[in-house]
Amino acid sequence: MNREIIPPAAPRISQYGVDPKYVPKRGAELEGMVSVPLRELIPDMPKILYPAGQGEEVIRQQTEAALAKVNFSNIKPGNTVNILASHHGFTFLGGKPYAEMLRTIKDVVERETPAKEVRLRAGLGMRFRETEEYIKAHGLDEYFKGKALGVAPIDAGLPIETRLGTLYGLHRVYDADIIIHAHNSDVREVHFHRQVDRAVKPFGMSYARAETRSTYHMNMGPRAANFVARAIFDSDFVQSKYGFSIFMIMCPAGVVTIDADNDLYALNDRITVGGMKYYGKIISLFGAIDECIVILDFPCPVPYVFAAGVIYANMVGANIDLFDLDNPLPPYTWYTETFYDDRGQPIIPDIPPVNPAIKMVVHNYAWTGYPATFFAEHTPTIMVGQKQAELFNRDPMNLNYMKHALLAENLDGAMEFAYRTAKTEKVIIFDGATGGMNVSRSLADYLLKFASQVSERVDKTLMPKWLAQRNVDVELINQVA
Amino acid sequence: MKVVNVHARVRMELCKGCKNCEMVCPVYAAKVKKKKGEVQVEINDQKCVGCWNCEQRCPEHAIEMVPCEPYTLSTDVASFVYKEIESLCHKARFHPKQVVCYCTASRAEELAAAILAGAKTPDAVVLATGMGAGCGIECNQPIQRFLEAAGLKYERPKQSYQWYGRTLTVWEVSPEVKAQHPVFHFDEDRRLLDRIVKAPVKF
Repeated sequence: MNREIIPPAAPRISQYGVDPKYVPKRGAELEGMVSVPLRELIPDMPKILYPAGQGEEVIRQQTEAALAKVNFSNIKPGNTVNILASHHGFTFLGGKPYAEMLRTIKDVVERETPAKEVRLRAGLGMRFRETEEYIKAHGLDEYFKGKALGVAPIDAGLPIETRLGTLYGLHRVYDADIIIHAHNSDVREVHFHRQVDRAVKPFGMSYARAETRSTYHMNMGPRAANFVARAIFDSDFVQSKYGFSIFMIMCPAGVVTIDADNDLYALNDRITVGGMKYYGKIISLFGAIDECIVILDFPCPVPYVFAAGVIYANMVGANIDLFDLDNPLPPYTWYTETFYDDRGQPIIPDIPPVNPAIKMVVHNYAWTGYPATFFAEHTPTIMVGQKQAELFNRDPMNLNYMKHALLAENLDGAMEFAYRTAKTEKVIIFDGATGGMNVSRSLADYLLKFASQVSERVDKTLMPKWLAQRNVDVELINQVA
Repeated sequence: MKVVNVHARVRMELCKGCKNCEMVCPVYAAKVKKKKGEVQVEINDQKCVGCWNCEQRCPEHAIEMVPCEPYTLSTDVASFVYKEIESLCHKARFHPKQVVCYCTASRAEELAAAILAGAKTPDAVVLATGMGAGCGIECNQPIQRFLEAAGLKYERPKQSYQWYGRTLTVWEVSPEVKAQHPVFHFDEDRRLLDRIVKAPVKF
């Protein structure tokens, strides 16, 4: 445990969050906060490639090395190539490693293939200018000579015939002869994808029209939904354009390596194992927390703020095993959200409740642009700062958020109320600290006490079960480790 | 139900007439015309639902959202016999109290009421409920499933990127796909959704 805190991710200038000048104090600056290095919690965490003091050059080297294994023969003279990216990749470590991976892919494809033109198409979630902001911030527009675009789910679509009938992709994603799938491997929305086809998911989401995304979240059910991406990826149309996949391989402490493969499903199996082994331990450890105050303090919408490499939505559902496919419904997914009636009661009795260990949420800094009212409805929430409340009241996705949240003038006032009301001193801060997590001393002691038990349970009991549920070869554990 | 508190305004000095605003508007409130070589953009305030789509997708940043006198888009469920509402919800395979739009917290019963009240197209549903005027993504299929359940057919205007079509549900997945891919738990998830649809309504 360190007395000195790890610097939190800096607020970003974005239309989706308040101006950084309205975030005068961070949770990590509160009295009594300490940091816990993740390696003290999970000693077998893999060696980190980035950040490790060598800057982004090491990302370039590893991307080159990964691409050396790829067969480029399907890229023919005169072909146009779209590198497909997603907004999620830019939320790691300020976006620098992901941006460098994208730049390197462009350089290698231009050098090693007869492609005529290489462009960047970066998928979006619900904040339709977010990747545009990242493209500008990282100079990708200039690097791709004006051929870098954010693509939104309401942009022009095209029908794709699949084993699930007609689904819809985005025209700008597929307007090239060849597509390259460039993504990140962290588990992130494990409450949605359940680590089933994690690597394939962007074909049903980041690269897809609203119709397809709504199919995923409304038409299929919480586990069946993951077939949507596979149906699109396997379609004749997508296969006719598919070149290869390349992933920034993550563990909770940072970037481990870059992995690339022509076979997306082989890459997917490797990602499945790594995701479960390391993220499974962190999320299971979060599930062992008995009580806490959560501080949201990261430049992303409420469910996507980070601690220990995982997002707040994972904490919300950590009271059940999110990787166990025998559990049909996590405590938070959009299916779960629809299953509460207008009295706030579950429509059927076996809907799992939101993690009861979260006694209070202090919303110090998190963005709009994702329907987040569910979180304020189910956990007592204090919003810090009038400006931030006003931003939420203007956001068409969050017009009801402040109906369920209290407002505090500043972070100190919010925490004073939270300590008094929640009656716990355990605090966890979702602030994107890298390599560790910023928490209160009492929670640090608690986590350090339980970490080895949790790790052992994941390794010996849960991993074999999780892998069997997904038909993934147990032997891959050794290869990935 | 949605409270509309902003409207779109075009800064004509920046507009290049690309028509993106027209294409992404869920209620076709934006119209771009050229008269004598000059671009004109009309935003119909009577229709604008304050969804921000046009502001977000304008490549020239020529649209801004300005505060307006707040008003509500909603349909009163109590105006209809609840059995009719329930029947349409079940036909679309939703529980009447189920959320069908995360942004507005609209429930299936309101979507059914809007259609019973005469909404015959997706844009008419948006205007009647406010659904589709938040993220513009997730309620896409519920709206189209309800219209189909009510026996309504509509044609997507060519000048639009909206409402491409209804897609498949878990009830329609082929036996071959289910047999080949047990890891996706198709039948178990279908049973879960069936239990939701058939659960009694509590007031």
